[in-house]
Amino acid sequence: MSTSSVKTVVNKFLDEYTNNTPKKLKIIDAYLTYIFITGVIQFVYCCLVGTFPFNAFLSGFISCVASFILGVCLRLQVNPANKSEFSGISPERGFADFIFAHVILHLIVVNFLG
Amino acid sequence: CLIHFYKRKMRVLALLFLAPLFLGACLAQKRVLVLLENVAVKETHSLYFSMLQRNGFTLTYKVADDPSITLKKYGEHIYDNIIVFAPTVEEFGGSLSAEAMMDFVDNGGNLLVTAGSVTGDVLREIASESGFEVDEDGTYVIDHHNFDTKDGGYHTRVISDAQNMVKSDLIVGTGKLPLLYEGTGLLTDPSNPLVMDILTGSSTAYTHNPSLPIKEYPHTVGKATVMIAGLQARNNARIVFSGSLEFFSDEFFQAEVDTGNGKLVPSGNFELAEALSLWCFKERGVLRVDGIQHSRVGEGSAPEFYTIREMVQFYIDVKEKVNGEWVPFKPTDMQLEFVRIDPFVRSTMHVAKSELIGTTFKIPDVYGVYQFKVNYQRLGLTRISTSTQVSVRPLRHNQYERFIVSAYPYYASAFSMMFGVFVFAFVFLYHSDETKKKTE
Repeated sequence: MSTSSVKTVVNKFLDEYTNNTPKKLKIIDAYLTYIFITGVIQFVYCCLVGTFPFNAFLSGFISCVASFILGVCLRLQVNPANKSEFSGISPERGFADFIFAHVILHLIVVNFLG
Repeated sequence: CLIHFYKRKMRVLALLFLAPLFLGACLAQKRVLVLLENVAVKETHSLYFSMLQRNGFTLTYKVADDPSITLKKYGEHIYDNIIVFAPTVEEFGGSLSAEAMMDFVDNGGNLLVTAGSVTGDVLREIASESGFEVDEDGTYVIDHHNFDTKDGGYHTRVISDAQNMVKSDLIVGTGKLPLLYEGTGLLTDPSNPLVMDILTGSSTAYTHNPSLPIKEYPHTVGKATVMIAGLQARNNARIVFSGSLEFFSDEFFQAEVDTGNGKLVPSGNFELAEALSLWCFKERGVLRVDGIQHSRVGEGSAPEFYTIREMVQFYIDVKEKVNGEWVPFKPTDMQLEFVRIDPFVRSTMHVAKSELIGTTFKIPDVYGVYQFKVNYQRLGLTRISTSTQVSVRPLRHNQYERFIVSAYPYYASAFSMMFGVFVFAFVFLYHSDETKKKTE
């Protein structure tokens, strides 16, 4: 009984997602999955090989994590359903903040990469 | 013409005045004050004194209670060594006392003292300050199995084998002959690290008054019966204390030891007395450090600071006094310690370039203030203790490893993130919604 209800919930979720989400958000979601996979690969590699250049591992991993967070923030701001919460800030402004934060992030990452 | 004459006279006079100064500098280590019990000792011990003079010492003889004895002139000691051949003296003459003697030793002077069956209080005081104790008045070292048959029947003229000497050629020389001894015994504390038993009795010796019956356990028995004791103080001053004045006498030097089994063997007293005196008066077994060099491997001079994990080379120049000359000392067991509170590196040094000894090692992965320490203490040699301080810094930010192979995945992910953002930005900005076209 419970398994079938989980299945129906998941199926309903996937249908809703494919039909009702705007394309912009889907692009962001694809980007986010790419970041997530890269982060997971790095973490597994570190667990296998050890933490020798620990600063390099931290730098790469935090680059992934921070990119993911920034992507999520962009998705929140750009989503038309959240327009009421971000009154006064246009989606373009959100995208500009996103790019600005990324520039700072990558500067820091390359410095810490060693 | 007259002026020339006076000028020449002045030059000659000047030379005459300066000459003793130079002589004094050369004989700096060899001025000996000899305190005698009475003037007759000079004759009965003539072979010993002539041996000293042959070895370059200048002897000043004084009777022990002579009131004109002074050790210091204008605040400086005028003798380098003191011999006391006056066992029964109760008090020294002049300004001399046990305290003055120990002050003399504290300033680097060496002492050779003989006691006897009857020993005066001042010598007992000197002995106790030096870490030994002289047995009571009237006692002799007695050995009923190793005695010279020429003594009066009390077995107090004792023979000690060469193997009862301390195991150091520098102190006792290389003689193997038996030694003749008649005098009192000394007690040494075995836990005192500075005191050495130079000559002990054999296992059958003991100390006691020969004319009294034995009612209690003797103070010293067997190998603990010390006949000649020595001390090398922490400032490397040396004290030799003998329980017998006759040990150094002409009679004993020339005696033939009759061990009772018919064979007559010459006594080894003269060889031991000579070796002992040369050791005591700092002619043998003396080391000095002439210089220390440390640098990075491949460089010539010491840098301002070192960095962790660098290779360092360290050299020390140690000289030993042999026959009055300073020759390079080549030990195989001198160690260098690289210490920051605790030693991080301990390395045995080997003979390196041109008579220096040194070693090469890698500075540990820990930064801080370190010291190169060399501590060398061996029986019969003066102590070497040197310490040089250096600082070891951590790596500068541009001295770390770069492009580490095992970190390539991390480099790849960081750059792929950047690339991803770049591509995403283009796609996000320039995609067009196709919903209007679909509805139409």
